[in-house]
Amino acid sequence: MTKRKTWLYFIPYGLWLALFVIAPVALIIYQSFFDLGHQFTFSNYSTYFQSATYLKMTLNSVWYAFLITLFTGLISYPTAYFLHQLKHRQFWLLLVILPTWINILLKAYAFIGIFSQAGLANQFLTFIGIGPQQILFTNASFIFVATYIQIPFMILPIFNALDDLNPAFVNASRDLGASNWQTFRRVIFPLTLPGVKAGVQAVFIPSLSLFMLTRLIGGNKVITLGTAIEEHFLTTMNWGMGSTIGVVLIIAMIIVMTLTGDQRPKGGTPR
Amino acid sequence: MRQKFAKAYLILVFIILYAPILFLIVYSFSQGETMTNYHGFTWRHYQTLFSDARMLAIVANTLLVALLSSLIATLIGTLGALSINRTTKRVTRESLLTLNNVLMVSPDVIIGASFLIFFTMLKIPLGFGSVLMSHIAFEIPIVVLMVLPRLREMSASMLDAAQDLGATTRQLLSQVIVPFISPGIFAGFFMALTYSLDDFAVTFFVTGNGFSTLSVEIYSRARQGINLEINALSGVMFLFSLLLVGGYYWIQQASRKRKHRKREVVS
Amino acid sequence: MPQPIIELRHVTKRYDDHPILKNINLTLEPGKFYTLLGPSGCGKTTILRTIAGFTDVTEGDVLFAGQRINAVPANKRNVNTVFQDYALFPHMTVAENVAFGLTLKKTPKPEIEKRVAQALQLVQLADYGDREISALSGGQQQRIAIARAIVMEPQVLLLDEPLSALDAKLRRQMQYELRDLQQRLGITFLFVTHDQEEALAMSDEIFVMNQGEVLQSGSPVDIYDEPINHFVADFIGESNILPGKMIADFQVAFGGHQFECADAGIPVNEPVEIVIRPEDLTLTDPEHAKLTVTIDTQLFRGDYYEIAATDRLGNDWLIHSVNPAEDGTAVGITFRPQDLHVMRFGEKEAEFDARLETYETEDETRDET
Repeated sequence: MTKRKTWLYFIPYGLWLALFVIAPVALIIYQSFFDLGHQFTFSNYSTYFQSATYLKMTLNSVWYAFLITLFTGLISYPTAYFLHQLKHRQFWLLLVILPTWINILLKAYAFIGIFSQAGLANQFLTFIGIGPQQILFTNASFIFVATYIQIPFMILPIFNALDDLNPAFVNASRDLGASNWQTFRRVIFPLTLPGVKAGVQAVFIPSLSLFMLTRLIGGNKVITLGTAIEEHFLTTMNWGMGSTIGVVLIIAMIIVMTLTGDQRPKGGTPR
Repeated sequence: MRQKFAKAYLILVFIILYAPILFLIVYSFSQGETMTNYHGFTWRHYQTLFSDARMLAIVANTLLVALLSSLIATLIGTLGALSINRTTKRVTRESLLTLNNVLMVSPDVIIGASFLIFFTMLKIPLGFGSVLMSHIAFEIPIVVLMVLPRLREMSASMLDAAQDLGATTRQLLSQVIVPFISPGIFAGFFMALTYSLDDFAVTFFVTGNGFSTLSVEIYSRARQGINLEINALSGVMFLFSLLLVGGYYWIQQASRKRKHRKREVVS
Repeated sequence: MPQPIIELRHVTKRYDDHPILKNINLTLEPGKFYTLLGPSGCGKTTILRTIAGFTDVTEGDVLFAGQRINAVPANKRNVNTVFQDYALFPHMTVAENVAFGLTLKKTPKPEIEKRVAQALQLVQLADYGDREISALSGGQQQRIAIARAIVMEPQVLLLDEPLSALDAKLRRQMQYELRDLQQRLGITFLFVTHDQEEALAMSDEIFVMNQGEVLQSGSPVDIYDEPINHFVADFIGESNILPGKMIADFQVAFGGHQFECADAGIPVNEPVEIVIRPEDLTLTDPEHAKLTVTIDTQLFRGDYYEIAATDRLGNDWLIHSVNPAEDGTAVGITFRPQDLHVMRFGEKEAEFDARLETYETEDETRDET
């Protein structure tokens, strides 16, 4: 009797799984086989794979996401590492997380001001003698702002991985004669790699789909997968094609997840 | 030397992290109309903001959606975590967890686009209802993820002990399990709230013409260019987040200190 | 014999065809201190859980005061458990933990307060009611776990290795306290442990278990002096176990000699094992010795020396001696006939008891003549 009762608890969650997890994914795949005239077709896929524009856009999008992830990682690892050595590190970590609570659009909006013709960035460039440049609506500005937005999401998992690291390992490494750098390279970094991978997951996939940034900062010069989907769904109303790109994005996501998710954090079988 | 480098590096990172936000807030007090040269102090943009009926209605909408969706998501997510925790078969559990995480890892556009198809197919009108449902949907998995670890921490012998002392299944749930996992439930609710307030892309897809949240409103205004009323808005929102974070940190510290003091009494 | 409070009849437990308990029969009388003793994984905790109601048995009956309770859920059984990890509720204070079971029963508030105070008094933590669980030491948590169980006034208290997390000194102190508590409450304690010293010190009766079976049951003295087989002899206390052969009743051969012993009823020439406890061996001159051994090494244990030695045939000997010996020298050892205990291979407890019966009555008749 108790068994049956506890199954009742599962109903709302089960409904959610069916309606908002399984159904939408199934629907987007289903929709990708329909053209503008609601006819079943494979043409969306054939168009996608035969069109240089779509393929180039996909490659570009992946390349930008890669660059954003790379820069984010390069900035975040040392930050997390140094942060972790501070005395009130939990407090400082909170200060890192705080900007993520400011709406992403407000941050993008701030950069519209900073990168504008007479904005702060150009005033600085003028001051050091380079003179004003077109900054807003360039690829570089898009990457810069995206990196800025993603940094906390990379710092957090790396910081947690450093926090999980048993300090005895570091002491043992020193004890066995390793220098600081050797300890870092051979002990600390490999052991915090799961944190880096989690960070890559948290940064790379969203970077493929940041359509508001490409609109506000990239000035439509950068078209990511996300931008293309938004355009097909909300502007040209070609849902079939939009869904096809969506399926490509889902596949990209699965690839990234398998590449970065092979290591079980705890309790996994030793390899 | 190393210490100094670390400090300088951290200071630089923090400057980069906070400069844009401070920049926004500073110009919210500028008499000009653009974010280029500071023209002297004024409250004018804040006055505009607080007399902008449309904006205030949108703020109310946003908060309503956030609170309502977080409450419902917390309820459903907690029930979900309880059922996942009860599964004994490893395969069932892992597949439930994988399904749970689909919305966590999916890009916003995919969630938005697929929900749009879903609502259109079921002929659900776009607006408050569709936005609320979407927010509940993408908040549930984070609640599950916040509650589950707490459930796992609960030792089996604690449940045995409660039963041993005469607790029925319902008493077990209401007197032992829920109080024990309540920190996880609160954390889940809190995270759900921030997810809702932060969301732009999903809402952008499933909102109709008549309904708007803050993110969507900022997006459409930002596309039209600089408007210092938005700066004023960000000032208000920054203050709001500071209060939230401060409160959160204070509660954490207070509970830690309380425990600490009690331990000292004993030793 | 009074009505048993707990009885297990032919209890078998299997997980996916893997046997955990094999045909367990045991009887607990009211007001006694029982111990289930065995290595980890022997099934002793499973027995506890079948009595508490957390685990269903595959076959057999669990009886409480003569009533079959196999189908009674844990929360309806009049037994309570003290868990190995204490399982105190971290979100409640000490008093709330102790009161938990009573509040579920909707006991009136004044009575709850009275009984909680009494229980805390009993475990000597009367002033700790308002403390948080996390503010208690391990020993204090242990006592609260006991208080939480006994406040329910169970007829049987089950204790699952409750002392294993405590340090050695505290553990010894708690042994006295548990024994004392059991006698004051006058209820049945069933204590699970893998620590033989603990079992010997506290119990009225011990059940020695291995691999899902009860090998031997009896008073601590019986089990120590007359272990039924190699496993029990080895598991309980320190012992020298030597291969030998039965020559006749009260005559056994080992280590190249023939000795008088206190065992009988075993066929002549049957291979047997002989147990001699190290403290029953006495060092002496080789002339007066029953056996001669060479000292290998020794450790000072405080109140005695633990000496490792080897005899002519290469058997290892462990000797406890008040005086030290010199490494490498040959010394004699001697012992009394009643210090030898002969064990037959594969003898079951029932057979052992039956055999003992035959010659112990013989003993008496012989004494009379």
